[in-house]
Formats: sequence, C-alpha cells, structure tokens
Amino acid sequence: MTKNVLATGLIWLMAALVSGVFVWLLSDILIHGLPQLSWAFLAEAPENSGRSGGIGPIIVSTLLILLVAMVTAAPLGLATAVLLSEFTRYDSIFGRLVRRSLDVLAGVPSIVFGLFGNAFFCIYLGLGFSILSGGLTLACMVLPILIRTAEEGLQAAPNDYRLAAAALGMPRSAALVHLLLPSAAPALLAGLMLGVGRAMAETAALIFTSGYVDRLPNSLLDSGRALSVHIYDLSMNVAGGDANAYSSALVLILLLFIINTIAMSLAKQWLYRRVVSI
Amino acid sequence: MKKWAMIAVSTLIAWAVWGFFGTKSDESEIEKLVLTGSSTIAPLAAEIGKRFESLHRNVRVDVQTGGSSRGVSDARAGLADIGMASRALKDDEKDLLQFTVALDGISVILNKANPVEALSKQQIIDIYTGKITSWKQVGGNDAPITVVNKAEGRSTLELFLHHFGLKNTEVKPHVIIGDNQQGIKTVVGNPDAIGYVSVGTAEYEASQGAAIKLLPLEGIAASVENVRNRSFPLSRPLNLVTRSEPVGLAKDFIEFAGSPQVNDLIEAQYFVPVPR
Repeated sequence: MTKNVLATGLIWLMAALVSGVFVWLLSDILIHGLPQLSWAFLAEAPENSGRSGGIGPIIVSTLLILLVAMVTAAPLGLATAVLLSEFTRYDSIFGRLVRRSLDVLAGVPSIVFGLFGNAFFCIYLGLGFSILSGGLTLACMVLPILIRTAEEGLQAAPNDYRLAAAALGMPRSAALVHLLLPSAAPALLAGLMLGVGRAMAETAALIFTSGYVDRLPNSLLDSGRALSVHIYDLSMNVAGGDANAYSSALVLILLLFIINTIAMSLAKQWLYRRVVSI
Repeated sequence: MKKWAMIAVSTLIAWAVWGFFGTKSDESEIEKLVLTGSSTIAPLAAEIGKRFESLHRNVRVDVQTGGSSRGVSDARAGLADIGMASRALKDDEKDLLQFTVALDGISVILNKANPVEALSKQQIIDIYTGKITSWKQVGGNDAPITVVNKAEGRSTLELFLHHFGLKNTEVKPHVIIGDNQQGIKTVVGNPDAIGYVSVGTAEYEASQGAAIKLLPLEGIAASVENVRNRSFPLSRPLNLVTRSEPVGLAKDFIEFAGSPQVNDLIEAQYFVPVPR
C-alpha cells in the first residue's frame, strides 16, 4: 500500500516537474518580454543592432522562409509517404531503404544541414545568402519528420476502407483522395506542425543560408534574418539586447501558437466534412 | 470557427505578401556589397551599412556572420567583397589588405571601495583559476574574492582568456554575466567582486558615478585613450579585409567606415574609434 502511494506520489512529482519547467520558462519570457511588446515593435525595423526599434522585417522574413520550406516539403513529403504506405509493401527492400535513410536524416544535427545548405544552395546553385536557400535547407531538414508522421497516419487508417473501396470498384487514387487522406488528416497536420515548429526554432541551419540581413526582403533571393537568428544575435552578440531578445522570443512563441491553433481547427473541419458527413 | 481560421490565415499570408511586394523597387539599378566574417563586428558593420545605404541610393549592404576566419577566407576566395576580422591578420594571411575600423579593449574592474590598486598578470590568473581566494593575499581586506566571468560565446571572454592564456574550463567563476552593463552592476553591488568589461563602457559608467575602478594592466592605465594609441595590452583591432586594393563601392564603404561620420555608431557598440 505504501509502495503504491510512493509510486503515485513520484509520478505526480515528475509530472509537476515537467509542467513546472514549462511554466517557469513561459513566465520568464512573459515577465521580461511583455513590457516591450507593442504594435510598433511588431511593425518597425530594428535600430541600433536590434537594441531599439522593432522586428517587422524579421517577422516577414521568418514567414517567407517558412512558406518556402512548407510549400516545398509538404507535397514532396506527402507523395513519398503515400508511395511508402500505399504503393509499396512494408517489408520491401526499397521501402526499408527509404525508411532507414529517413531515420538517419532525422537525426542529423541542424548545423550539418546548415553547412550542406550553404555549400549546395548558396554556393553550388548560386542562390547566395537568400530566403530561398534558407527555406530549401529547412525543407530538407523537415522532410524526414513530415514523411514519417504522414506515413504512420496513413497506415493507421483502417484496412476496411481500402477493402471497401476496392469492392466498390473505386480507383486507388479516388480511395486515397476521398477516404485515406482525410482520415489521416490529423496525423498529416501534426507532422506539418512538428515540421513548422522545428523550422521556426532553427538557428544553426539558417545563419549560414538565409543570413543575417535585417532589412525587409524585396525578393526571395534577398537575405533575410529569421526570428531565431535575431534572438540568438541579440542575446549572445549584442550588449544590451537582452530585453528585445525576450520580446522576440515571446513573438516567436505566439506565432507558433497561432499557426498551431489555425492548423488544428482546419484539420478538424476537413476531417468532419470529408469523412463524417458523407 | 472556420471563418476565423480563414481570416487569420489570409491575414498572415497578406502580411507576408505585402512585405514581399510592398516595397519592390527597380532591381536592375541596385548595387550589392557583401560583407562576411566576425560576429563581433557584424552588428557594427550592419549599422554602418544602413547609414551608407541612406547616403547612397540603389546601394545595398548585406552583412553576414560566421567568424573572423570565415571573413578572411571569404574575402580571399572572392565570396565576399569585404571580410570582417576582429583580430590582426596572421602572418600567412598577409596577402590580404586590412583596414582598422575600430578598436576594442577590455579592462579589469573592481569596486571603488576595494583598497587594491593594481594586480599583476599572474595575480589575475591565480584569482580567476581559484588559487587566490581572499583579497588579503594580494594586499587587500580580509574578504573572499567574488570572481565574475563572462558567459560562453562573448568575444570579451575570448579576448580575456587569450590574453591571460587561460581556458574557460580552468576559470572558477562565482558569477557569470552576459553584457557589459550587467558586469558593471554586479561589481557595483559587491565590494569584493572582480570582473572585466569593455573599456569604453567601463570608462563611461565610472565617469557617470558608478562605484567602479579600472585597474591598470602591466602598468598601463585602462583608458579609451590608451586603447586608441594602442599602448593598452588587452585590446584588439576590428578590421575590414579585402583581397586587393578596394575599388568602387567597396572603396567608398571602407572610406566611409573609417571616417568620423560613423564614430557615434562605433561608440554605441562600446568600441573605440581609431584616431582619424
């Protein structure tokens, strides 16, 4: 009996510890970051190396980098996941090879992606330090997560769907579009969100690809500083930049939160319309 | 719910698109100048670049970081128009040209109430490695020494460690600080603390009445003046580096960065302008 109480207490303690860390982190950022946060901070350009002024151009650059990364990675990832899950046998040599290489890729440190992106996109393809280089590097980085989660989502769809579709004489593509993808939508979205989260948090891969320039970008071929790079620079490199680093961190968290909420509600809608209402 | 989500999504996209196309200007006339290298110089170079852009229409100055060695190799390879190095060029880099934009010096500071007036190089090393733990051992009060060190990644830390031949793992700090202001506040608040900060900041704060004193190093007073005339031992040049004699835009930029027009920018980054 005492053993039980002890175990329960220990588990509660662990859970409290985990949420405690989260609350501490969030309140620290809120306490230090909220005072400087204003509409002007969100819209203005940084001044005096970011000690004053805002982060307007940096938010624009961050969203553009994210857009490039997701527009590139999502179709590629989805197609690969569909191929792996629906059009190859699970234990085929090809499937195993692809899966193994994806797992290895998922564990590669981001600085390696940064150096690869710099060597391949910036120098070899001649894109230079640009939002395009940064976005494409991030796309390479999030592909493994996207593919594995999408594949798992598709495999979780009941086999009855596939059999019923075949029995009705539906083409496989139609079954995919009308049944399997909608039922895997929550998993697809979750993968996408994991990818967005990893991409938004990325510093090491971006400092060598999308660069350090804090001007409003004129085109995708311009260098643009991402929020995480800005936070890193303010806290580690610019004396007296800590206050604005906190505010930028707060903006980053809020952005992630907003994107997450929107994506989740969209997924719910889509799932409801496609599967339940038929 | 769905309507709200759609509105939010389209707002985000519109924002990005507005930022993207809103300020589109004629690309064909724009000249680009690329600087890469030392992260210490990068914020200063970016600020100088902004002022340079405001004076020259159709010029864009792009500053990228990556460290001094990268600045040197990019300038040599022609990947950057100008490299940035927060140190003097080494002997095997003498094929390049360097232009000093500013100087950076570091001063050891004590609380004003501390009777110790000077420390030798060895004494400072012993204090920072924990071999000397009381001010009594160096002729001061009978009080334990509070060692204030800089956080990892600060260029001040690197310069300090390099000068005293220390490794960061050998340092036994009691307090770890981030920026110069924090270092000064820590020493002001603790009469037994020893720290080190940028000379420019320390001198300014001391003149504003902060209870600190700047220790001389090897008999030379820690002052902006002595950093400027390069007699102060714990200092380094902040250099722009080019492959060959700069021409055109690069020449204009280097001349601008070496002119008194940017002195306020240099001082805002706590560096010391070179005598012009």
